[in-house]
Amino acid sequence: MSEKIGIYVCECGPNIASKVDIEKIMQELAKLEDYKDKELVIKNHKLLCSVEGKKFLEDEINENNLTHLVCAACSPRDHDTTFINVCKKTKLNPYLYQMVNIREQCAWIIPDKEEATSKAIRMIHAGMDRVLYQQPLEEKQLDSNPDVLIIGGGIAGMEAALTLASKDRAVYLIEKTEKLGGKSAKLKELLPRQGVTLNVLHQKISDIQSNRFIKVFTNTELDSIVGFLGNFEIVIKDMNDPDNTTELLAGAVVVATGFDLMDVSSLDSYNIKNDDEVYNALEIEEMLSLNGKILMRNGKEPASVALIHCIGRQKVGYCSKVCCDYLLKIAKLIKDQSPKIEVTELYKHMCLPNKHDEEFYEQVKGKGIDFIKIKNAEITGTTINFTDIADAKKKLDVDMIIVGTAMIPTVGTAELGVELNIDQHETGFYQEAHLKINPVSTNTDGVFVIGGAHGPVGITESMLQAQAAAGKIFTQLIPGQKIIPEVKVSEILEAYCTGCQTCLDVCGYGAIYFDEDKGISIVNEAICRGCGNCVGSCPSGSIRTRHFTNPQLYQEVKEALR
Amino acid sequence: MDHSDNVLIIGSGVAGMEASLMFSKAGKKVTLVEKLSLIGGKTIKNEETFPNMDCSTCLVAPIQQEILQDGNINVLTSSLVEAVKGEAGNFKVTINKKAGYVDLVACLGCGMCYPVCPVELINEWEENLTNKKAIYVPCAGALPNVPVINAEKCLQLNGTETCNKCVEACMFGAINMTEKDEQIKVNVGAILVATGYDMLDVSTIKNLGYGKYPGVYTAMEFERLFAANGPTEGELVLRDGKKVPSSIAIVHCVGRSQTHYCSNVCCMTSSKHAHFLHHKLPEAKIYNIYSDICLPDKTYQKFYEDVKAHSSEFIYQADRDKMKISEEKGKLKVEYLDNNNKDAFIQVDMVILANALISALGSEELKEVLGIDHDKFGFVETQPFRIGSVATSKPGIFVAGCAEGPKDIQNSVIQSEAAVAQIMSLLNR
Ligand SMILES: Cc1cc2nc3c(=O)[nH]c(=O)nc-3n(C[C@H](O)[C@H](O)[C@H](O)COP(=O)(O)OP(=O)(O)OC[C@H]3O[C@@H](n4cnc5c(N)ncnc54)[C@H](O)[C@@H]3O)c2cc1C
Ligand SMILES: Cc1cc2nc3c(=O)[nH]c(=O)nc-3n(C[C@H](O)[C@H](O)[C@H](O)COP(=O)(O)OP(=O)(O)OC[C@H]3O[C@@H](n4cnc5c(N)ncnc54)[C@H](O)[C@@H]3O)c2cc1C
Ligand code: SF4
Ligand code: SF4
Ligand code: SF4
Ligand code: SF4
Ligand code: SF4
Repeated sequence: MSEKIGIYVCECGPNIASKVDIEKIMQELAKLEDYKDKELVIKNHKLLCSVEGKKFLEDEINENNLTHLVCAACSPRDHDTTFINVCKKTKLNPYLYQMVNIREQCAWIIPDKEEATSKAIRMIHAGMDRVLYQQPLEEKQLDSNPDVLIIGGGIAGMEAALTLASKDRAVYLIEKTEKLGGKSAKLKELLPRQGVTLNVLHQKISDIQSNRFIKVFTNTELDSIVGFLGNFEIVIKDMNDPDNTTELLAGAVVVATGFDLMDVSSLDSYNIKNDDEVYNALEIEEMLSLNGKILMRNGKEPASVALIHCIGRQKVGYCSKVCCDYLLKIAKLIKDQSPKIEVTELYKHMCLPNKHDEEFYEQVKGKGIDFIKIKNAEITGTTINFTDIADAKKKLDVDMIIVGTAMIPTVGTAELGVELNIDQHETGFYQEAHLKINPVSTNTDGVFVIGGAHGPVGITESMLQAQAAAGKIFTQLIPGQKIIPEVKVSEILEAYCTGCQTCLDVCGYGAIYFDEDKGISIVNEAICRGCGNCVGSCPSGSIRTRHFTNPQLYQEVKEALR
Repeated sequence: MDHSDNVLIIGSGVAGMEASLMFSKAGKKVTLVEKLSLIGGKTIKNEETFPNMDCSTCLVAPIQQEILQDGNINVLTSSLVEAVKGEAGNFKVTINKKAGYVDLVACLGCGMCYPVCPVELINEWEENLTNKKAIYVPCAGALPNVPVINAEKCLQLNGTETCNKCVEACMFGAINMTEKDEQIKVNVGAILVATGYDMLDVSTIKNLGYGKYPGVYTAMEFERLFAANGPTEGELVLRDGKKVPSSIAIVHCVGRSQTHYCSNVCCMTSSKHAHFLHHKLPEAKIYNIYSDICLPDKTYQKFYEDVKAHSSEFIYQADRDKMKISEEKGKLKVEYLDNNNKDAFIQVDMVILANALISALGSEELKEVLGIDHDKFGFVETQPFRIGSVATSKPGIFVAGCAEGPKDIQNSVIQSEAAVAQIMSLLNR
């Protein structure tokens, strides 16, 4: 079939028409030397994106049997999809259409009409040269598995499991310890309005146990995972018996591996021996849960307790966000236990980011606790040397010290990140796909991060993040619906690839793997997003990204730069 | 058919937009109601977002575009929800769409109509820092990029005279002076309230001099001053249009004693403002006056440390209610209690008050229409003692974003995605 290119110049009302000479553009295009023996249809339209304009374009494509289409109009950001959708209604493959931006790139920025017109002609010419080198591409449809693997059985993982599981969607929940609950299970009490720890947790655990769409594996870790959104092949292993593995299939993975508390002995300003009366807040919560009381190692009640905020904060480089809250809670619990215990809170900043926190702070303040704002503190045994906000150096001796230590990524975070191909933020926690607008997704499609694994969070936020990941999965992996991967992806030409594996490192999505048998690298098209990073890295020039091949780009650039 | 699968979303900030796109992806029909003539919420007032100083337009404009082009999402701008009847699974909603007098499809956003309009009005969207015409878009780059007419002030529509200048200027016949308010009825299974926040009126706080001294600004006013599409096109000049400030004080926690909560974002917005000022005016002296610093994200402290090291001096004030701002010989005098509880002061050209976030104006009315509970601060209350829920007191109605309380963009988005999960679970039951 011989080529017949349709070129449609949009006036965009006065936007384009008043700043470039539309008539001249059409005349000059019709006279192009290199298109003498090609059939061209060149027309203008007042407003191609309007309902009437789209109908016009559709009829033009059909009636003229166009083989290629160029729309010279506004930014592809505005209307590329509009025209692609028009093509989809016709026989013309949408990848044989090209948009040229003569509004933002000519009309709106070049004051001289003649100059704007000649640039527009050159750019449209470039688009015509390019479109002839474009290839038709077909969208593929892949079956997808709606089931979900959740790693970590703390409050975040449990909430995700309960939100996701249904008759159309199985959930596999793996937990490395022998029981569900995570850190929250150690808490004596929750913050006001959060309910009672035991009720919250027991309810979740029993809901999980009675839910036949959730399968729990305790003492279990991830062994390996390959695949992509909709199709992950997973192997999990029993930690007591590493040879005992189970294979699972799932469409998405939720990482809920939680946090640890920093080890204070690693800090220079703390000179503490093992038997000193110095505890981290979680140890106190556990003590309260077990004994119902705070007692020293000798079994006696302390006469004075100091709670110290922000321990390790400077070292880790972030605020742990919940420790001010839970230290207030612990101070209150001590006063509830016995009002005669002298309680001092040494804090640097009172961070109370939730709307009801301040009310709680006022309530705790009313219990006769001494709040001292400090700049620095050094602990030796149960003696605190500190500088207060007024720069006075002071000393405090107490019977017991409770420290609010930084929350840090849990052990194994780095290794699991590598296995799942998800990035870590410089703080060590996993990194969001986009901090602001895609906060529970990661750089690997189909893998989500929630709770303490995401960064320091309280229980409420952990649960919201869990539901957020579920929401994402509900809308990305609909049972029975096929998934359509990106078509403008990279491919490696077998004949040229030397197997050097340079490209494996540059791909941020982990889309390239090395085929040992053939000795070459291969792009997994379901994962590749067509970013093109690999193309530039290949020393033998054997990678190309569809729709952005070298000849296509060359044709366009050559004419644009003439 | 008594059960509806469709969703009503009220408010088109980051929270409302994220939920709209997610529902659409899942094949649900969405009605997105926005009271203003443009979508995007407060984020589009920001030039850059902390902590990475991402260009806000680059973050949000693609989302706005996608929403406007999405066949499953019916965007109703200049609209308010008037009545809601029925129950979860089957709400009958009446929406009033205010006449804008410009056809959304026919208008190209060419901007030929506003220069000819003789009426000058204050532009509230620009925090009253500039004017607009009776036919206007609130800012350059507004989406949808279609003007509306203020019917009370338009000479033609209020009957003052036969003006019609804009109609004559429009080459597309897009302006229709006979347009009427429209009553739209939809049937939905669930409702998401994502009405965001507004800012506390600081002129009610004594001694801060807002409204009295032209050098005193609110945080949102400053956001518009530093926006490239704002009233000064990003040029940093004071209200007289000429003076470039050489010293600036940014005051934290303004109004916190009135609201009784921490507004969650203002330590970061104040750091952002210092960062921006320092880069724009490297010679200027910048102070942040604070009592406590709240940095609730793993990425925030680094940004703050950087601002503290390079852009601004941080001054501790012992009691935020003791601050006093006055004018002396052309300078603003900011008096405060220092770290020794002693009186101290600094003199500056400009003060930025980081004022508290409060529930969106009109929330009270909406609360009555929807029949949901508010907390004592006026934000939408989630069900007490159902930890982690975004359900309101009324079944089928959910809340996300700053409508629930002050928070940053990512936490607004997270809550919105969580609401989608809860609503999908409800509708698919
Ligand atoms: C002292 C203290 C008091 C607190 N008090 C409160 C409070 O009152 N209110 C509040 O809202 N928040 C409070 N918090 C915060 C709360 O503990 C966290 O928000 C919550 O525990 C986070 O839950 P999570 O599920 O993300 O993580 P975790 O609770 O840490 O659970 C993670 C789970 O994953 C498992 N796991 C880890 N790695 C793997 C792996 N590789 N494979 C399989 N499983 C794995 C772990 O064994 C664990 O069970 C407090 C925190 C502390 C330290
Ligand atoms: C000065 C300042 C700077 C900030 N900078 C940053 C930053 O850099 N980074 C960051 O992460 N966060 C920042 N924030 C916070 C950020 O603005 C919010 O997190 C975000 O806007 C919340 O989005 P939302 O959708 O909940 O609400 P909003 O953005 O407020 O959107 C709500 C929408 O609902 C509409 N609406 C209200 N009432 C009704 C009604 N009754 N009917 C119909 N529609 C209604 C409103 O018109 C609006 O369009 C800043 C806040 C302030 C005050
Ligand atoms: S939450 Fe409070 S104690 Fe914890 S790091 Fe932040 S300021 Fe320090
Ligand atoms: S960089 Fe090129 S040659 Fe090397 S493995 Fe990748 S495709 Fe093959
Ligand atoms: S008709 Fe109204 S809006 Fe139009 S130009 Fe006249 S006053 Fe302005
Ligand atoms: S002149 Fe007409 S088309 Fe142009 S912005 Fe005004 S109403 Fe829209
Ligand atoms: S975020 Fe900072 S400035 Fe804002 S109220 Fe809280 S402590 Fe004050």
